[in-house]
Amino acid sequence: MNDVALSKNGARVLRGFFALVVVFLYAPIVILLIFSFNNSDIPAFPLSGFTLHWYHQFLVNADLRASLETSALIAVMTSIGAVVLGVLSSIALVRRKFRGKAAASALLLSPLVIPYVVFGISLLLLFHTIGVPRGMFTVVIGHIVITLPYTILVLVPRLEQIDESLEEAAYDLGASRFRTFRSITLPLILPAVLSAFLIAFTTSFDEYAVASFVVGSRSTFPIYLYSALRFPSQLPQVIAVAVVVLIVSLTVVVAAELGRRIAERRVGAA
Amino acid sequence: MGLPVAWLAVFFLAPIAIVAAYSFDVYTLFPGPHGFTLHAWRAVAHESVYLRLFWKSVKMSLVVSVVIVLLAYPLAYYLALSGTKRKYILLLLLIAPFLTSYLLRVLAWKVILGDQGVINSFLFWTGLRSSEHPISQLLYSRFAVMLVLAYIWLPFVALPIFVSLETLDRRLLEAASDLGASRLRAFWAVTLPLSIPGVIAAFFFVFVPTLGEFVTPSLVGGASGYMYGNQIVDLFGAGFPDWETGSVLALFLIGVVVVLTVAFSRFLQPQQVTAE
Repeated sequence: MNDVALSKNGARVLRGFFALVVVFLYAPIVILLIFSFNNSDIPAFPLSGFTLHWYHQFLVNADLRASLETSALIAVMTSIGAVVLGVLSSIALVRRKFRGKAAASALLLSPLVIPYVVFGISLLLLFHTIGVPRGMFTVVIGHIVITLPYTILVLVPRLEQIDESLEEAAYDLGASRFRTFRSITLPLILPAVLSAFLIAFTTSFDEYAVASFVVGSRSTFPIYLYSALRFPSQLPQVIAVAVVVLIVSLTVVVAAELGRRIAERRVGAA
Repeated sequence: MGLPVAWLAVFFLAPIAIVAAYSFDVYTLFPGPHGFTLHAWRAVAHESVYLRLFWKSVKMSLVVSVVIVLLAYPLAYYLALSGTKRKYILLLLLIAPFLTSYLLRVLAWKVILGDQGVINSFLFWTGLRSSEHPISQLLYSRFAVMLVLAYIWLPFVALPIFVSLETLDRRLLEAASDLGASRLRAFWAVTLPLSIPGVIAAFFFVFVPTLGEFVTPSLVGGASGYMYGNQIVDLFGAGFPDWETGSVLALFLIGVVVVLTVAFSRFLQPQQVTAE
């Protein structure tokens, strides 16, 4: 079967190329890992010895920890907001018929293509105009706008798979709209809701461009990182944080993906 | 439906409308006389600095997008058509870096490319180069910006191409082979044409965000890697702010993106950007 598309040698060449690209993608991350344990103020060869100093430094760095907390808080609020709006829009897009549906769907997805620099500046002008002081909430507002399309893209295909007659049966048995949503629809789309939540959370936690325009006095983690990147003395410490964050996020992403596959297999089998 | 649409109307469309109003001088945050005028637009059109910068950014994003689409195609082809059993694990391996922190991946390259960085210090250490003469074009250059952008977007690009190859009806390939077509011929006549929508979508989803990029150039670009997005930020920033000109540049970029989106819309399917 596979030899219609690829000869044995062709497959071997492509496998080698794939391996090369994976090395290219992971080498920088591995290099960060190595230098996070290096006992020197500048990350350069030759390696000068093993140390946990930088990890210790980052544990006692109050600014850094505060920025991580701020980002986590913003990401939680963003993902709750984006998932609620995403569920509302997806249900409307999949289940209801209304005039202007195509336009509504285009509007809901359009933040996917807006250049973040333009959106950040526009939002800043809006907050200036209506006199809203910049702070955590202004960042959350911007982040909900840019993560909403991702939640819709995850939720809509899942909703389309669900047999509408299940919901109709619930209505026939006298369930209210909300009751039907809570006991029928929500449990069925729960895996998609969780991945939407995760996508919104990680996007918001990592977002620098829009946040840089509308952030207040409390730095988010990316904003802290960006300013730290300009001071070489802080570099080794930042590398240590980088390694921790990269490993945590890789683990979460892989675990979530595997979890989703297992959950969907179970739903599919039932 | 009302709530999400209202949210976007207030926090997405209204801000852009304000920028538009600003660019035509029908609105300004500062007191003073104003009224509808095309003055700022005309000034930008005659100021070749901005147009040149825009063109330079187009060329940079174009090269990055084309190169990584060409690199990603064989990767997606291998995953979708080689019949490997670990297809989804390998796909996850490929896209996982994309889901980690953007700034940290830029940081990694800053550490690698600097004058005292990993590459240069390695060359000094091994005696391949004297420490008075580091390869200084590595960081703070147009090359650095393009390398880092390619690094960041490569995993993402493989996805839409993979989706289009994965959904390809393999019986078509068998038919081609039964009719005596070689693998190469079947590729040119069947596989490639059928995967073009995925390739175009992949190109679009890299070209558009890299065109407006300002974070990577500001960190690794220096003067020669300065892009259009940086110019917009600077016009709104400290120093010599000129919000009116900045608004014109911002609106022009939106216009370009809208035109591209409409032009490419028949190739864009929402599921291409999620890992479903």
